[in-house]
Amino acid sequence: MGPERPSAPFIGLNNYKETLTSPRFQQSLRNQLVFTAATIAVEIAAGMGVAVLINGKLRGLRAARTLLLIPPMIAPAVVGLNFRWLFNSQYGFIDALLADLHLPAIPWLSDPNWALVSIIIADVWQNTPLMVLLFLAGLQSLPQEPLEAAAVDGASTWQIFWNITLPLMRPVIVVALMLRVIDTFRTFDVVWLMTQGGPGGATSLVTVHAYLLAFQGVDFGHAAAVSYIALVISLVLLGVLYGLPWLRET
Amino acid sequence: MMAAVSDETADAASVAVLPTRWRPFPIGLAARYAVLLGTILLTIFPLVRLVITSLRIPADIFAVPVHVIPASITWRQYVNVFTQYNLAGYLWNTIVVSLVTVVLVTVLAGPCAYAMARFRLPFHRVIVSLLLIMRMIPVVALAIPLFAVFANLGLLDTLTSLVLAHTAAKLPVAIWLLIGFVQDVPKEIEESAAMDGAGTLRTLVQIVTPLIAPGLGASAVITFLFTWNDLLIALTLASSENAQTLPVGLTNFVSQYGVDWGAMSAAGVLMVIPTLIFVWFAQGLLVKGLVTGAVRG
Repeated sequence: MGPERPSAPFIGLNNYKETLTSPRFQQSLRNQLVFTAATIAVEIAAGMGVAVLINGKLRGLRAARTLLLIPPMIAPAVVGLNFRWLFNSQYGFIDALLADLHLPAIPWLSDPNWALVSIIIADVWQNTPLMVLLFLAGLQSLPQEPLEAAAVDGASTWQIFWNITLPLMRPVIVVALMLRVIDTFRTFDVVWLMTQGGPGGATSLVTVHAYLLAFQGVDFGHAAAVSYIALVISLVLLGVLYGLPWLRET
Repeated sequence: MMAAVSDETADAASVAVLPTRWRPFPIGLAARYAVLLGTILLTIFPLVRLVITSLRIPADIFAVPVHVIPASITWRQYVNVFTQYNLAGYLWNTIVVSLVTVVLVTVLAGPCAYAMARFRLPFHRVIVSLLLIMRMIPVVALAIPLFAVFANLGLLDTLTSLVLAHTAAKLPVAIWLLIGFVQDVPKEIEESAAMDGAGTLRTLVQIVTPLIAPGLGASAVITFLFTWNDLLIALTLASSENAQTLPVGLTNFVSQYGVDWGAMSAAGVLMVIPTLIFVWFAQGLLVKGLVTGAVRG
């Protein structure tokens, strides 16, 4: 059994050619790039903002650190089911909240564009806490002298953050960026529980597309091509990120 | 960068040394507490909501308008998942697969990492790059060939196939993590063991293993949770309740009649419990596993 019969002829790069020109693949690649760019931008910006603001001696920070470890470590499948329920159009909490605020209901999971936004929100909820923890750890290992010197010289808080803290945090930011690029290109579970790639392929990320090709379309050749193209694209993205001058001078 | 691993002792020490620690943003203390509180609320709210849904009576779940606080609570959903659904089977499969995978990965990764860190192996750089690529490759790219291989071996839909697939998938990450811990072991200790006539195997088992125990613990915790949480490998290889795990079980609560939200939430809550236990009791190991593995990449 299995579609990989020994007699399947070797066809060189044909599967890759056909994949690159397939509209379904192009749609999933577009979804993937939007998903990766949006989640990373929000997670890193929000993670850095929260980390900078709660860094220091605050009561409850230890407990908060423990809590923040929960979302990144629970099963993405559970996160997916939970957000599917929160975004439910009839009984979901979010639309009920919008109604209380006299705002129109949003067709979270049934509208193609909102569905993509929904999976981005679920991913942001799950992974921003990890960014906060990473950045908190980074902030606490920063040398204090340049910060104190700048404060003595009368630099504003914003100037200190922008000109000293952020450049010093560069290595940690690079790590966070790379981690998220790698992991967004592997995202499957959340999407599978929330939308299975629908409606109409609007949330099919590259791994979801590959899975559907392989195990619903029984087209292993193209599915394998899709997953290796995804790997190559994430490698290229990492290479580009690593080559950016701001990120390289560590 | 190991110093970046936040642990409370280092924190306390730096605070003690620098009583006039520079404050990052001297905006009002109230505003900073507001950010902290908001972050905590946003983090726990969806989880609280999941627990509440799992405790509701069905009529209450589908009440319009949506109530936040349930009128009455019931444990019925938690009984249902065991009587009307095969949660016990999913749970058993998940426990077996996760535990056996952890044992295999830990036993194999230690010696591999030791060999990588201490011996000049041919193609060292190639092997290291391959380990990294394995960390980056989409799981579906592994699942497709594994499906074909296990189909030929007649192992599809068995716990054996899940354990083998997970071991293969988690091993590179564990080795990568442990190489750093082995490198941190001072070479002199091993050299003096060798002077006393200990062979490589004995040095590894009696000298190095205890010293890298925190690394082994971190990799075991990470391996356990990522195996416990996995959907894709089990979805691909397990087609029946013989081998289906909890995350696959969650998808079985969606039927042609709709989604059984109450039962599904109860199953979700049960699934999160091991994570909560590890976060509570092994926070240090978890952070070490997550951050160290990441930072070395």
